[in-house]
Amino acid sequence: MTRIKFRFARHAPLKHISHLDMMRLFQRALRRSGLPLVYSEGYNPHLRFNLALPLPVNVTASEEFGEVYLSETVSPDQFVSTLRAQLPESLDLKSASSEDYKAPSLPSQVVAALYRATPGREENCRAGSSQFRAALDRLMAREEILVQKTKKKKKQAYVNVRPYIIEAYFKESGNESPLELYMLLQAGSSGGVSPFFVIEQLEKELNCDCNNKAFWELHRESLYTDKDQFLQPLSEGM
Amino acid sequence: MKVIDHKIERLLWQVQKPARYTGNEWNAWRKDHAGIKVKMVLAFPDLYEVGMSNQGLKILYESVNRRPEMLMERAFAPAADMEELMRAHNLPLFALESGKPLAEFDLVGFSLQYELSFTNVLNMLDLAGISLHASERGESEPLVVGGGPCAFNPEPLAPFFDFFLLGESEECLPELLADLDAFKQTAPDRKELLAKLSEKEGVYVPALYRPVYKEKKLKALERVDPGAPGVIKKRLVKDLDSAPYPAAPVIPYLQTIHDRAVVELFRGCGRGCRFCQAGYIFRPVRRRSREEIVKTAREQIALTGYEELSLASLSSTDYPRLDELIDELDRALAGEQVKCNLPSLRLDSYSIKLADRLHRGKRSNLTFAPEAATERLRRVIKKNISEEEIFTALGDAVDAGWQGFKLYFMIGLPTESDEDVAAIAELCHRLKQYFRRKAGRRISISVSVSTFVPKAHTPFQWEPQLPLPEVTRRQEILQQGFKKMPGVDLSWHDAETSFLEAVFARGDRRLAAVLEWAFKLGCRFDSWTEHFSMSRWRQAFREADIEPEDYAQRRFEYDDLLPWSHLDCGVDKEVFIKEHRKAFNLDADFEGEVR
Repeated sequence: MTRIKFRFARHAPLKHISHLDMMRLFQRALRRSGLPLVYSEGYNPHLRFNLALPLPVNVTASEEFGEVYLSETVSPDQFVSTLRAQLPESLDLKSASSEDYKAPSLPSQVVAALYRATPGREENCRAGSSQFRAALDRLMAREEILVQKTKKKKKQAYVNVRPYIIEAYFKESGNESPLELYMLLQAGSSGGVSPFFVIEQLEKELNCDCNNKAFWELHRESLYTDKDQFLQPLSEGM
Repeated sequence: MKVIDHKIERLLWQVQKPARYTGNEWNAWRKDHAGIKVKMVLAFPDLYEVGMSNQGLKILYESVNRRPEMLMERAFAPAADMEELMRAHNLPLFALESGKPLAEFDLVGFSLQYELSFTNVLNMLDLAGISLHASERGESEPLVVGGGPCAFNPEPLAPFFDFFLLGESEECLPELLADLDAFKQTAPDRKELLAKLSEKEGVYVPALYRPVYKEKKLKALERVDPGAPGVIKKRLVKDLDSAPYPAAPVIPYLQTIHDRAVVELFRGCGRGCRFCQAGYIFRPVRRRSREEIVKTAREQIALTGYEELSLASLSSTDYPRLDELIDELDRALAGEQVKCNLPSLRLDSYSIKLADRLHRGKRSNLTFAPEAATERLRRVIKKNISEEEIFTALGDAVDAGWQGFKLYFMIGLPTESDEDVAAIAELCHRLKQYFRRKAGRRISISVSVSTFVPKAHTPFQWEPQLPLPEVTRRQEILQQGFKKMPGVDLSWHDAETSFLEAVFARGDRRLAAVLEWAFKLGCRFDSWTEHFSMSRWRQAFREADIEPEDYAQRRFEYDDLLPWSHLDCGVDKEVFIKEHRKAFNLDADFEGEVR
């Protein structure tokens, strides 16, 4: 049995679909491809396939990952060309590599994700870049950012997501948009925070009187795993 | 690849399920509009995920697009959030493939599947910026055509449509589009064009006819144009094997209601249940050959990657030697990890055996429609299964390991008494006890009860629907019966929506004014409980000065002119009369038919 890890980008035309839609899309593409797929045993056999981290609706991405098990040896190059023929253009399969069969599953390796948010150009909030920067400073200075989560037995509980914002900073992009917001957020099984929530909190801190809700374009730059207490891009070694 | 128009794109981040509006699915056609002679949009007056579950839409999409000189794109009703944004930003309804406004196409075709989607039709025309009334449409506006089951009595929609296409259109629609292109060269105007189209079999141009009413009754249907055909015959596919059928259907990104490969076993149904319109308008029964079914199944699985295959028809287990077909499909799809299912199962042991053989995975629930709980009433509606058959069949299913059943019933059927209504709960009670003795484990039963709606082109077309208060009273009997039955889940259809359905199912052109009012008052998605508002509808009826009860509770006489009598579904009136009389045992000849 082979385990293949693959890297792909999701471009704008496909950004509107959910994680479950993405799962189905890949599963059906794999089934069409004729690759020697492996299914789990049992009553409801399912394809042995994973995506590293759910990609939220309305977010594009440049470095996403998936993994699939195959019953026969297929070279990474052959895998890429075979699967690519079954994927829509906006889902750009870039490369693949053979992985250690015994390594922990791809989703369990993910600990953080880097997002880039660009405020749209029209009908936008009128706040200037200095106001945005000050708002972000205020947000990051907070010790607690509470988010309401429904726990078991429908009990409402508050979780402090401030520690999940590892880093957040503005970069002057130079071209059409004056500002780009970068957010390095904890993600994966040990908890995380949605980039949309961080933006929402930032807008609250901004407290701009124009009432124009900004239209943010959100992009996920990369995913990270934990390597001896340091963040290492999931693409390492590919 | 189409890049979604920036204007649309700007709205999408604010709406639920934006993928409803983006198109670009796998297997979707992408045709360059340049050089295409006839361009059509198939508009489905419901949400994307409902419309994309409709097999007719997929068949037509294939039948037109396989011809290089024409194209068909798709449009669906936008959900309320999207509609609001589109109106606020002055964005017209657009087709998914090209993002072009509907008004730029030659033809806009509506799929008319159920009466409660009629307000969505008006809303979609309005959103598209197309004149609501056919009589007001300019030369540059698209022709608006309707097809599907409701085209068999489209009278309430008549003023809004240029023409209707009666019957199965996968063969005649491409022909008609080609004709349209030819006629456009010669016909001086729209009126002439429609007159020419009306010569084609299956084409009904409502403007060529004028109904005459007297004392609330339809007295005559006058021909405005003496050349218009007196009766419009439905179109029919003679040979399913050679008719267009998609080998590579569009695979939605979103999860739709029926998100699977579908191969149609046969068209029509030989059972003749007296309430069932599909059982009459799709006559006669025409089968797809076994070879063609296996071939299509194999192609669809290979080209879609679907993990589920449905063998569809109105009564699947009536397919001859179905067991052999299943064996062949098993061999053809071996190793593909495909789950097959047979919808519309009959309640007999043979059907259960077959469903069970097809089944892979956990045996969760089987669905059946006994429709009525007493043998007497089942004979009235010609759903001829005995109580013994029900028990044997469900017993077999329990033995095979099935966990539960979903049972569909109807209330308000002609001749129904309180005892027949109470019998639904009693039957479920007896089944429960039977399962307990037999299986020794918990078998779930869920019961769904709808209200009978008399439909055009059925033997019950002359019958009234029960008055609303009476339906409510019978629903109470029903609930009372299930009150002390833990483990049986009862649900029932809203009586008011069934009432409205009955009004329009046998309606005439006077109802068009009601529809227009309802649309203006904001009625949309009337089959969705969260959107349906009876008070708005009541107001629409008042504004149009129409008593809805006159329609729903009307009993037609055999001699009455029915609003749909000029539309020929292929079944003679005599057949309907005979079936109607049989149901009520009105002829001595049929003694023994009803107890």
